[in-house]
Amino acid sequence: MSDELDRLRREVHEVLHEPGVRPDDSLQISRRTFVHRSLLVGAATVAETFSWWPLINTIDVAHAAEAPFKFAWISDTHLYPKSLNTRFVDKTIRAAKEAQAMDPPADFLIFGGDLAQLGKIEELELGLDILKEVKAKKYFIPGEHDWYLDMGKKWGELFGQPHWTFDHKGVRFIGLDTVSHGPDYWTAKNMTPEERMGHMATLDGTVAGPWAGVGREQLDWMEKTLSDWDKSKPVIIFTHNPLYEYYPPWNFWVRDWRDVQQVLKPYTKVTNIHGHVHQVLYNEIGTLRSIGMLATSWPWPYPPEGVPKLTTPMIRVDPGDPFDGVGWGKWSVDADGKPDTEYVMWGRKEVFVQSGADHDKHVEEILRPRVADNMYPFANP
Amino acid sequence: MTNKATFLRSLAFVAPFAAVVLIGGPSGAHKDPVTPKQLKAYQSAFMEEVKKGDLLFHGDGATEKQMGVTLSTTGMACAMCHPMTSDTHPQSFPKFQAQMGKFATLRDMINWCIEKPNQGEKIDTDSEAMKALEAYIYWSNTGSVLVPGKY
Repeated sequence: MSDELDRLRREVHEVLHEPGVRPDDSLQISRRTFVHRSLLVGAATVAETFSWWPLINTIDVAHAAEAPFKFAWISDTHLYPKSLNTRFVDKTIRAAKEAQAMDPPADFLIFGGDLAQLGKIEELELGLDILKEVKAKKYFIPGEHDWYLDMGKKWGELFGQPHWTFDHKGVRFIGLDTVSHGPDYWTAKNMTPEERMGHMATLDGTVAGPWAGVGREQLDWMEKTLSDWDKSKPVIIFTHNPLYEYYPPWNFWVRDWRDVQQVLKPYTKVTNIHGHVHQVLYNEIGTLRSIGMLATSWPWPYPPEGVPKLTTPMIRVDPGDPFDGVGWGKWSVDADGKPDTEYVMWGRKEVFVQSGADHDKHVEEILRPRVADNMYPFANP
Repeated sequence: MTNKATFLRSLAFVAPFAAVVLIGGPSGAHKDPVTPKQLKAYQSAFMEEVKKGDLLFHGDGATEKQMGVTLSTTGMACAMCHPMTSDTHPQSFPKFQAQMGKFATLRDMINWCIEKPNQGEKIDTDSEAMKALEAYIYWSNTGSVLVPGKY
């Protein structure tokens, strides 16, 4: 890291992490359901890695809800046409069936983006068809894989506006589009729509640049949307990408995350639920809490640096089992008005690491960015 | 005769020969020091393999066709689970690989990934494609510490 970048990051950290500022106390992490075994036995290696934070997989969101309710989260299905890949189809069907079977039922389903793998009409329509299994109201936000073949045309026809808001039982919900504001990397290089999509669909690619962002117009819309909302009442924001800087080489961020934080700063109970990272993730910046959800398609390893210290890593998965390390999210609110979120990770007794050897970074690695996508004809100017 | 005198006499005998070797070099010497041009050529040969491996690893159909391999039939590419080759851990091979239930090399593991998650066709362990994949994976992990055998 350059000295300048290091200085900037320290400065941003000081501004955003004011001493004593955290999400409101009513937003508690619950250990009701899953207490990490290492806390019980005091395993030194795990305690060292995961610091002081309670090891959990349930999260209380808000207890200002007016009545108990549930909702479900599914994201990152990355569907190919059925004729090419049936595994991703099978997993999406399973998630939809399980979400539909929630008891008591979910009031609504959030689909958190990347329904399709390469943005094809066939893939988007397949996803829509599978999710018909869920009878509750469904809300969709786009992922970059849904967008960059036809620049969101088909997605818009099927799902409408990519950003939206609604109130439900005392909570204001906001869906944001973090994918459609990428800088134009294709026109000057005369890329076909398929080439544009291909570069966007490569997580470690360098051609698309820092594509993820919220954009000034949407920030202004969010500010206006929140202006009539009591600053102490709960707000839940759904995005595809996390709203903070998390390993930009893989675009696990939005580039204008500082502006997002500024808009949200006055609100004391803000929870951001996001997809895109295909992994368990938890972070706090000021009064904003962020929770990363599982993909149904495949899990991603943690990057070599930048994992928030507050994250308890998910367990290292078995690449031979297509159902390992993936799943969906179930949210429920109990009779006392305290909702919990539970990671539904298929085939796993434990969602979180139980010892150092369970962590995918048990073997330490130093990585360098790829080279071949910067060769002719796609070299950056 | 003292030891010192013996040593001096031996030195007087050996010194002329040593001088010839030092000035003229060994009688059969024919190798030159490596030149910057040679180093560049060696590095270039290596990076060509790295680039080919990068393209294969990222599912480039044209490169697969050119090299006569089918690394996937599901649309999946190696990089989809291993961005920047993360979690390939080449530095930990050879080792007992739990998924295979046997002692394995990196090349064994590459083939396992091609056959299982990618549902592609196993490649010859000494093939050009295998060498290119290996070159890219090792290059990407440059600087990682060797920990052979680590789970």
